[in-house]
Amino acid sequence: MQDLIHGFADVLTVYTLAWICAGVTLGYVLGVLPGLGKATGVAVAIPLTFYLEPVAAIALLIGIAKGSAAGSAVSAILLNTPGEPSSAPTALDGYPMARQGKAQKALKMGLYASVIGDFLSTVLLICLAAPMARYALLIGPVELCAILVFSMTFIGGLSGRSLLKGLIAGAFGVFFATVGLETETFIPRLTFGLLDLDDGLPLVPIAIGMLAVAEMIVQAGNMRQLDRETEQIVDGTRPEDRVVLWSDWKRCFAPILRGTLIGSVVGILPGLGASVGSFLSYGATRRASDRPEEFGTGRIEGVAAAESADNAVVPASFVPLFALGIPGSVIAAILIAAFVLHGLTPGPRMFQEQPELVAAVYAAMLCASGILLFIGYTGQRIFARVATVPVRLIIPVVLFLCCIGAWMETGSIFAIYIMLAFTVLGILAKKLDFSFVTFLIGFVIGPSVELSFRQSLQILDHRWSNLTGHPIALVFIALTAVVLVALARGRSGGGAVGTVRDTGTTITKGRIS
Amino acid sequence: MRSANIVSGVILIVFGAAMLLVIIPAQIEEGPEGMMSPRLVPQMMMALIMGLSLLLVLSNLRAAPDPDAAPPFTRSELIASAALLGLFAVTVALFLTVGVLAASVVLIVGALLILGERRPVALVLMPLCLIGGAYLLFYRLLGTAIL
Repeated sequence: MQDLIHGFADVLTVYTLAWICAGVTLGYVLGVLPGLGKATGVAVAIPLTFYLEPVAAIALLIGIAKGSAAGSAVSAILLNTPGEPSSAPTALDGYPMARQGKAQKALKMGLYASVIGDFLSTVLLICLAAPMARYALLIGPVELCAILVFSMTFIGGLSGRSLLKGLIAGAFGVFFATVGLETETFIPRLTFGLLDLDDGLPLVPIAIGMLAVAEMIVQAGNMRQLDRETEQIVDGTRPEDRVVLWSDWKRCFAPILRGTLIGSVVGILPGLGASVGSFLSYGATRRASDRPEEFGTGRIEGVAAAESADNAVVPASFVPLFALGIPGSVIAAILIAAFVLHGLTPGPRMFQEQPELVAAVYAAMLCASGILLFIGYTGQRIFARVATVPVRLIIPVVLFLCCIGAWMETGSIFAIYIMLAFTVLGILAKKLDFSFVTFLIGFVIGPSVELSFRQSLQILDHRWSNLTGHPIALVFIALTAVVLVALARGRSGGGAVGTVRDTGTTITKGRIS
Repeated sequence: MRSANIVSGVILIVFGAAMLLVIIPAQIEEGPEGMMSPRLVPQMMMALIMGLSLLLVLSNLRAAPDPDAAPPFTRSELIASAALLGLFAVTVALFLTVGVLAASVVLIVGALLILGERRPVALVLMPLCLIGGAYLLFYRLLGTAIL
């Protein structure tokens, strides 16, 4: 608690608060624009933070992540085209509300539910991460290797529609992470004589290429459909259709709390992602309703349930990152680069080595929740107008910013080459349904996988039978096998899907359990 | 998607075999005696990719074909990809031969034209605002050496 108070003292300065505001605003705009989102925004903004102080830099990026999660509801409600896949269930009831002239009410409830879910989930992160990290410190390399393999399998199996393709993408991520000088022998690996590759492939140009540039190029091919949607927005004239009434709050209170709980649990589990959280929450609220048949026709509880879970996932996904150093989502994987850049290595040791910085990050996250409410409420009309900007004007802006972001990572044209190479891979991955989320997470944890594997071989004296002395590792190896079998069997079944319009590039159909 | 899965699986198997048999041995030396070989993890990942790709091919060969399945790429997506990647190639060439300003202008104006923007105001104002804004934010405000 003492550290947290000091953290607030670091954050509550005009300088840091201004960067949080900038991050939330930028994130909100990115969230509003279909196809862009928090991962893209954070990847492009990381180079911008090179010249900021650590607390302000991390606060800016967290602001982008939180703003984007909330902003994606705007285009879901107004255009039936979610800014991010996780807002797809928001559109199921939000868009019918907008067609009934209740867009303002839906947007306001979406914002309130987002802020509540986000704030409560941040509190959960603060309460859980440090105690979990204390146990994580007891874990040795053998156990860590088993946990990493389990996480990769879990994430690979859940983040795409095909288990095999998810695992292939994860293996490619680890493979590309081996490029560069090997850390023990300093033997160059797959550098093809290029000195630029001695330090390995840089994460930021890869992430920008796969997430942002690839997305923009694919969107360019589906531009006309997106632009048609912007011409169909209607706004109501009755005052009660523009505000959230007390009766609305009474209907939404339980769905918001339920959504927060579901989103937090889903966020803590690596690989499930915000889409699973928001669809599960929407489905649970529909089942709990006395009139489930009315869902999909403009029920405000549907918006509240989906948005609270969507936003609760973001802070909760930092629990495995902070406690174990394992990124559970693509945003956590990209944030690792920013954290390390600013002197904070995510993992159990950071609570001992950098308690002040961790406290400042927590304080920044809590402040970002309040700022999200303020900016989202005051700027609602402006953000709604952003959703109507034609895609042909957005794409050149994003491509230009992507080039600047990639260039700033290394200050050489080589980063642009890397960005373009991974743009091509990103387009292929998106269209052929190879999960780029798993690829990026595999790339980020690749060095840890190799290091812990190397240490494990030495500890086990190259004998697998010595694993019997490491029961935790055996448990995770068994869990990996169970997950593989369960996922392989589960994939043979089907599920009902939502009826939200596809952005053209991003999967916006989710399973409703 | 069935055909695409089979084709991509076969390509990945060939790629994995080339990596395992030719590129990894040529590009990664064997490590010193008694230490884990630097080749081990790349080889393990390639073997894993080959095995999983083989499973992908076999499982899709056994699946029934779906006559209504849409191809993974639409014509408009292919055209947009070719046009914008071509624009990037021109931009890089201009950056190396002329300079950053010419490359930036061509990237922005070229993208606008490819995407169908024809209004002169947008074609003039967009590069001015973007390049000017980037100069002010990164070079003046943050002191970044982007030029």
